[in-house]
Amino acid sequence: MAGSLTDALAQSRDDERRRAARAILRRPLLRADGPDAESFALVQRHSAHLRAWFHTHAGWSLLVTPELARLTKTMDADGPGAHTHPAVTARPRRPFTRRRYVLACLLLAVLSRADAQITLGGLADDVLLAAADPDLAATGLEFTLDSRAQRGDLAAAVRLLIEYGVLSRVAGDEDLFVEDTGDVLYDVHRRALAGMLASARGPSTIATAASSGPAERFAERLARLTFEPPAGSEQLGDERIRRWLTRRLLDDPVVYYDDLSPRARALLDGRRAALTGAVADLTGLVPEVRAEGIAMVDPDGTLTDVRMPEGGTDGHAALLLATHLATVDVPVQVAELESLIRSRAHGFAAQGFWRRGAAEPGADRIIVRTALDRLEALGLIRRGRGADGEPTVQPRPAIARYAVTAPAADGVMELPGPEDPDTANPEVEHSDAGHPGTALAVEDQPAEHSSRHTEEHAR
Amino acid sequence: MDQADAPAETPRPFAHLQQPGAPLYRAIMGTFVQAKRRFIVHLRPEDIRAMLPDHGRTPAESPSLDGALASLEHWGNLRSDPDTSRVTSVEEFRRARYLYQMTDHGQAAEDALQTYEAALGRRGSLQSVALDDIAGRLRELHTLASSGTPEPGATHLALRTLVDRFEDLAANAQAFMSALARTIDVQDAEADAFVAYKERLIEYLERFIKDLVGTGAEIARLVEQIEDLGVDRLLRMAAERDTRDTAPGPADAGDTADAVLARSLALWRDRWQGFRAWFIGSAHHPSQAMVLRGQARSAIPRLLQVVSALHDRRSRRSDRAADFRALAQWFAEAPDEDAMHTLWRSAFGLQPSRHLGVDADTLEARAYDPVPPETPWADAPPLLISPRLRRTGSYERRGRPAQVLDRSLARRHLAERAAQEVRETARARARLATGGPVRLSDVGTLEPAEFRLFLGLLGDALAAKPLGARTVEVSTGDGAMAIRLSECDAAGPEAGESGAAMAEIRTPDGILRGPDHIVEIRDLTAAPTGVAGPVGDEAPLPEFARRGA
Repeated sequence: MAGSLTDALAQSRDDERRRAARAILRRPLLRADGPDAESFALVQRHSAHLRAWFHTHAGWSLLVTPELARLTKTMDADGPGAHTHPAVTARPRRPFTRRRYVLACLLLAVLSRADAQITLGGLADDVLLAAADPDLAATGLEFTLDSRAQRGDLAAAVRLLIEYGVLSRVAGDEDLFVEDTGDVLYDVHRRALAGMLASARGPSTIATAASSGPAERFAERLARLTFEPPAGSEQLGDERIRRWLTRRLLDDPVVYYDDLSPRARALLDGRRAALTGAVADLTGLVPEVRAEGIAMVDPDGTLTDVRMPEGGTDGHAALLLATHLATVDVPVQVAELESLIRSRAHGFAAQGFWRRGAAEPGADRIIVRTALDRLEALGLIRRGRGADGEPTVQPRPAIARYAVTAPAADGVMELPGPEDPDTANPEVEHSDAGHPGTALAVEDQPAEHSSRHTEEHAR
Repeated sequence: MDQADAPAETPRPFAHLQQPGAPLYRAIMGTFVQAKRRFIVHLRPEDIRAMLPDHGRTPAESPSLDGALASLEHWGNLRSDPDTSRVTSVEEFRRARYLYQMTDHGQAAEDALQTYEAALGRRGSLQSVALDDIAGRLRELHTLASSGTPEPGATHLALRTLVDRFEDLAANAQAFMSALARTIDVQDAEADAFVAYKERLIEYLERFIKDLVGTGAEIARLVEQIEDLGVDRLLRMAAERDTRDTAPGPADAGDTADAVLARSLALWRDRWQGFRAWFIGSAHHPSQAMVLRGQARSAIPRLLQVVSALHDRRSRRSDRAADFRALAQWFAEAPDEDAMHTLWRSAFGLQPSRHLGVDADTLEARAYDPVPPETPWADAPPLLISPRLRRTGSYERRGRPAQVLDRSLARRHLAERAAQEVRETARARARLATGGPVRLSDVGTLEPAEFRLFLGLLGDALAAKPLGARTVEVSTGDGAMAIRLSECDAAGPEAGESGAAMAEIRTPDGILRGPDHIVEIRDLTAAPTGVAGPVGDEAPLPEFARRGA
C-alpha cells in the first residue's frame, strides 16, 4: 500500500519533471510572468534536477532566477541543420531578413544602455543613431524610418524581443507605429536582456583579420564564437563528445552517422543505449534507431517548432513531396518538384483542400520552397546544386518514414509497386471511409498526366 | 603691454578666474605661492616659465606668459619692478624687463582660493570623539558651575574648548552630509570603490547615530543642569578673560572696555544659545542633533539603494552593448541568408528543440514487432499516416472515437416530454377536482390521463381505508390532491333511482366497474377554489358530473 503510494508520487514527480524539461527545451528563455508562467513554475520547481541533468549530460547551463529561467543552449559548431533555425516573425511566421537581424541586434545594444522604460519612438531614434555607425554604414545597409516597410522591420524586431520577454508592452500597438500614427511604451526587462546571448565568448572580443574575404571572415567569426578550447585529455575529450552527442539528440530531429566524426561515431555506437536512454528519460522522446542514424521521435508531437506530418496547404505539400522523395535515391531537381506541385495545386485548390491562390501562377515555387524548408529543417532532405547549377534536393534516409507502403501483413488490397513514384501521390479520391484500418490512400492505376488533369477538372 | 606701474583702479584679484586663460593664470599665481614658501619674493618671467608645470605646452589660445603677467598686474594680483640686472644680448636689453612679486591683494586672493579648494575637497566626518569631548567639557563646566567660586581660568578654557570642538563638529557634520549626498550620486567610475566603501560607511553612520543618541542625551541633560546652576556667570567670566586678552585697538573713543565686554558677552551668549539649540530642540524647532540623526539615518537606506542600483548597472555590463553592436555588424556582413540564420542560432541559442513526431499506433506496431537497429529507414515500416491527410491535407483524429456523446437532442426530447406530462397532469387535476361530493357513478367518461390520476387517487383512498370504516380521506404522496371517499347509503336518493350500488366509469381503454361511492376530490395546488368549496351536499357539481348526470 505504502509502496504503491510512493510509486504514484514518484511517477507524478517524474511526469512533472518531464514536462518541465520539455518546456525549457521548447522555450529556452522562460519569463516568470506572462504566458510562460505555468512552464516557468514547473521549471523552477524542478530546477535543481534539471540544472544537474543539463550540466552533466549536455554541458548546458540552466539559470533560474525569480524573474526568468534560461537554458543556455550553446552550440559547439554549425551543424548540418544550423541554418534551419532562423529568428521568425510572429505572424505570419517568416524568417528574419538581414535588415531585421541587424535591427534586432541594434535594439539590444540600445536597450542595454536604456532606462527601465522606453518608447518605440525613442528606441527608433537611438537605433538610427547606432545604425549610423561608420562600420555598419559601410556595409551598405541604410536605415531610415521614412517608409512603412522600414518601420515594419523595426516593429518585427521589437516583437521578437517582446516574445523573448526583453520588452513588455505597457501601452500602444506597434501597428500604429508602422502606420506612423502612434507610439508604444515598453518596460525593459534587464535580466532577460542579459540572458539573451548564449555564446561562450562575447562577440565584441573577437577581432578578425580585415584582409580576408567576407565569407572567410564570417566563417572565422562563427568558428571563434563557438570555439571551445581543446580538451586536456583523452578522457575529457570523450566526455565532451558525449555531451555534444546528447545535445544533438536533445535538439536535432535526426542525428545521421554520416555527419559524425569517426571518434564520435565510435563513442555513439558504444554508448548508444545510455545516451538515448538518458534523453528519453528526461524528455519522454522515443529513440528510433536505424542503420543510418538516430531520431529521437516524439509521441506527443509537441516538442518541436516544425511539424510533420501536418495539415494545411504547406503541411500537405510537404507530405506529398516527402512521399515522392521517399521513393527516390538520387538528387531531384527542384523544378521537377515544382511541376509536380503545380500539376496538383489546381485540383486541391478547387476542392477547397488548399488555400485560395495555391493554383495561381508562381504559387508553386513558394509552396515548394516552404515545403522544402520544412523537410530540410527536419533533416529529411539536403539542398544542393546539380551539375548544371540548378537547385536540387537530395533525400536523406529518414524521409522513408513518410513513404506509402503496403500493409503487407493485411493483404487487404493490391498495391501498386513502390518503384513507381506516381503511386506516392494519391491525388485520386475514392471513398475510403470503408477502410479505416489502412494507412494509405486507395489508388487507381497510375494515370497519365493528361488523364489526371481531366479527372481533376471533372471533379 | 597695457600694464601700468600700479593698477589704476581698484584691484580685482579674482578677475583672472573668469578669464579664458584661467588655468595659466592660476598656474602663474601658483608659482608665486610656491616661491613664497621658499622665501623668494621676486620672480623673473624666465623663472616663472621654468617653474610652470606645463610651460612647454601652453595652448595656443591662451595668452602668452608676458601678456598673462601684465594682465595679472593689471588686476592687482602682481606688482612689477624694473629689472636692472645684467643682460647678455641686445634683444634682451631692449625688451622691457621686470621683476614680479605678489601684491597683498594677490596674496589674500591666493589664501582665499586655497581655503575655498580645501573646503570643497573636504570629505567631512561625523565625529563621535567630538561628542565625547563636548560631553567631557560640559561635565567640567557643570562641576565649575556647581562650585561657589568657579576658577575663571578653568572656566574660560573649558568654554573655549567646548566652542572649538563644537564648531568642528558642526562644520564636519555639515561637510559630511553634503559629501554623502555627493557619494550617493555616484558615478560609474567610482562604483567599485563605492561598493567596497559602503560597508564601512554604513557601519560608521550607525555608530555615529548611536553615539548621537547616547552622548547627545547626556549633553542635553548637562546643558540644562548648567543653565539651572546659572550659565551666565560662567559666560561673563569667559567674556571678561577674552576682553583682558584683547590687544588695545586703535585709539577709538567709543571703544571703551565696557563696550568691548558687552560685545564679548553677547557673543558668548549667542554661542551658548547656538550650542543649546544644537542639542536641545523645542516643539517647533527640532534640535540640530536630531536633524543630523535623521539625515544620517535616512542616508543608510539611500546608500543601500545606490548599492542595488550599482548592481543593476553592473548587470547591464557595458560590453553587452558592444557585443550586440558587433553582432549587428556581423549580420550586416554575413555572406548569405543561411549564414545569418546560423549566426542567430550560434549567438543566441534560443531555438526550440525539434523532433519528428510518431503516433501511438506506430509505436504500438513497433512494440509488437520491433525494428532492429541495423535496419535502414527505407526498409523499416513507415509512419502510419492517415489516408485522409495524405489525400486532402486535413487531419482526422485517428483511432480515438469521440468519448463525449452529444446528448443535447435526447435531453431536449426528455425535457419536452416532461413538460407535456406536467401540462397533462395539471389539466387532469383541474378536471378531476369535483369541488364537492360526487357519486362515483356520476363521474362518467374520463380521458386516459385523467383516469390514470383518478385510479391512483382511488387506490390510495381504498388502501388507506380502515376495515369497516365508511369514510376515508387521504392526500396524495406529493401533496397535490386530496380525496374523500364515502360508501354510498343504499337509501340514497340516487341509489334508489339507479337501483344498483354499482358505478361505471368509461374510458377509451375500457370500463371500470365497482361499488358506488361518494367522492370529493380537491386540487390542493389550486388553493382558492379548492378551499372555497365547502364540504356540503348542496355544492354545485363539477362539469363532468353534470355531464354524466
